[in-house]
Amino acid sequence: MIMQHPGLPDAWALLVLLAMGVITLWGLARSPAQTARAPKTPGPMQELFSILTRIGTASPWPQLIARAMVAALFLLVIAAGLYGTPVPERNLATTLTWSLWWAGLIVSIFFLGSAWCGICPWDSLAQWLVRRRLWRRGRADRSLNLRFPAALQSVWPALALFVGLTWLELGVGITRSPYATAGVALLMVVLATGSLALFERKAFCRYLCPVGRTVGFYSQLAPVALRPARAEVCAECQTLECYHGTSEVEPCPTRLVMGRLTENTYCTSCGSCVRSCPHHNVRWTARLPGAEAWQQARPHGDEGWFMLVLLALTTFHGLTMMPFWEVWMAQLARLLGDSGQLLRSFSLGMLGTIGITVVLFASAVWGSARLLRGSLPYARLFPRLAFTALPLAFAYHLAHNLNHLVREGAGLGAVWLNPFGRDTLPPGMEELHLRHMNPLLSESWLAALQAGLMVFGFFLAVQVLRHRAPELYRATAVLPGWRAAPMLAFAAGVSGFDLWLLMQPMTMRL
Amino acid sequence: MNRRTGLVVCAFVLALFVGAPSVLAHHVLGRPAYSLGADSNTPPSLQVETQIGSYLVTYMAFPAFPKPNEAGRVNLYATHLDSGEVLRAAVTFVVRDDRWFAGKEEILGVQQIDDNVYRQGFEFKQTGDYIVSALFEAGGEPYRIDFPLRIGDPRPIGPLGLAVGAVVVVLVGVNVVQRKRRWRLQAERKVSP
Repeated sequence: MIMQHPGLPDAWALLVLLAMGVITLWGLARSPAQTARAPKTPGPMQELFSILTRIGTASPWPQLIARAMVAALFLLVIAAGLYGTPVPERNLATTLTWSLWWAGLIVSIFFLGSAWCGICPWDSLAQWLVRRRLWRRGRADRSLNLRFPAALQSVWPALALFVGLTWLELGVGITRSPYATAGVALLMVVLATGSLALFERKAFCRYLCPVGRTVGFYSQLAPVALRPARAEVCAECQTLECYHGTSEVEPCPTRLVMGRLTENTYCTSCGSCVRSCPHHNVRWTARLPGAEAWQQARPHGDEGWFMLVLLALTTFHGLTMMPFWEVWMAQLARLLGDSGQLLRSFSLGMLGTIGITVVLFASAVWGSARLLRGSLPYARLFPRLAFTALPLAFAYHLAHNLNHLVREGAGLGAVWLNPFGRDTLPPGMEELHLRHMNPLLSESWLAALQAGLMVFGFFLAVQVLRHRAPELYRATAVLPGWRAAPMLAFAAGVSGFDLWLLMQPMTMRL
Repeated sequence: MNRRTGLVVCAFVLALFVGAPSVLAHHVLGRPAYSLGADSNTPPSLQVETQIGSYLVTYMAFPAFPKPNEAGRVNLYATHLDSGEVLRAAVTFVVRDDRWFAGKEEILGVQQIDDNVYRQGFEFKQTGDYIVSALFEAGGEPYRIDFPLRIGDPRPIGPLGLAVGAVVVVLVGVNVVQRKRRWRLQAERKVSP
């Protein structure tokens, strides 16, 4: 029996469309945004926030305790996956990993940025196995400290693994298999451990981890980040403990210098910089959500592609949970002569979605470049405008995952009491109905949150456009932003399609 | 207990085994339990009861530990959840490798109902994990039920063994290389004044 969630009500969708229309007009009528802003001195609220968060980060123990708890839970997930019931709804491995963690992780970024990476069990286990220290700096000779291959020093490896993980999740269906879920979890630990043992610093976190990079990119939009309290202190610093570490504290695992940090993409929130800074100048700071994506982050080609594929795969995620997806796949399989798990058809569908998104984006960028008559070439515009994909992807990802979390998170209590699912039967229709009818949030609250997120994402995308490509705006024209019309059309098209997906009934994962 | 009392007890126990079970065995929980395993002298390797759509399905595979080049059988029994009526439709049994890059499905056979049960024989040439699927149509809806089937002995090393092995090999390898580096450095220091 396949259960389906109801979609977003028409009235809410209409409100979102109205808001998007207003934002589009605003985007066309506004002048180019001022990007250069003088750094503000911290206000009293900021100071209070920093003091509160410093209590938790100055000592390594709170983080270590959190790491140990998450690692213990992770080992339980592996044990449940390998030795527990194969019924996914009754096994902790599948329910915790896919219904709670994978769905909740994206929601956590909205509030806590890349904080998850700071307690990641893959990295914790790798660090304890290789460095053999709980938190203090390990001996250098525990690792071979090789340089990571120069050709792979980009986000391309993480992007490839992210596409692979999505393929395993949605195509092969590891979300329905506790055993396969445990297998992938073990594979990640092996990759993290092997990488830490062979390469210098944490090459896995920096270049390979698909989850870490997704968290990193999305956390550009988060309202909190680790940053210097006073820029002038970092500017005068000669010793760079944040980068080199101290005798007690590890250096930055992803080679970041706090004084030059402009984007969260590679920050793993490990807190080493907080503990190593002799001036106590690094702290969690509150900031305007999205400001980093539209102002501070530097455009790079590989990162632009990551954001674009992220957008394509979030949409694809929703697409595969539509009731019509199965019909499409069956028709495609007949055309291809595919049978069994229909993996060839699925792979083609996935590549098609990525391809269509890239072509649409490239066309919009090409249109913008043409309107600029060569003053800003296509190659430079592409990575700059790719930042518009980030809020669109994040907003839909959040709205979609909220659905999973709110509707499938209910009724997971029994799995905590019996994580291996011993002596349990698959859930009957009555239980599925009950779970379906008793979400963690009321239907109207869920709809309001989803609608709000879609508007928020679209607004941020327009803001990114105004700040990232001021050349597209002319203050003298009646509609100063008319040259931004191709990109606005792209953002509106993607948001509109994602909104339509949210309005459709969605197949339950578990 | 004297001899006479003992004989009475034995006769009573015998009567229990001979009489009462003949009434109960046919319909344990409303299902013809004995007929599922009547022609096999081993317990099933797998017995699954599951609910799919409007049907409650019971599935068994025989023998207990199917081996390559050895005949085995899967039995399927399905009843409608509301009416309790036994499914009466042609059931197609297909098989594929239970791997991430599985090849094409092969049809094992199309079976009609036989004493309320669908029986499909099989004989696998190779050891491995397979997925046997039962396909049928009922009420205008297509149904597909997948069941795992292991042929031969289970793999000696599972994912946990592989992961632990890989980690140990890497850690030991790094340790050996670093020791060699240290010895070489020490040797160089001794040579140079």
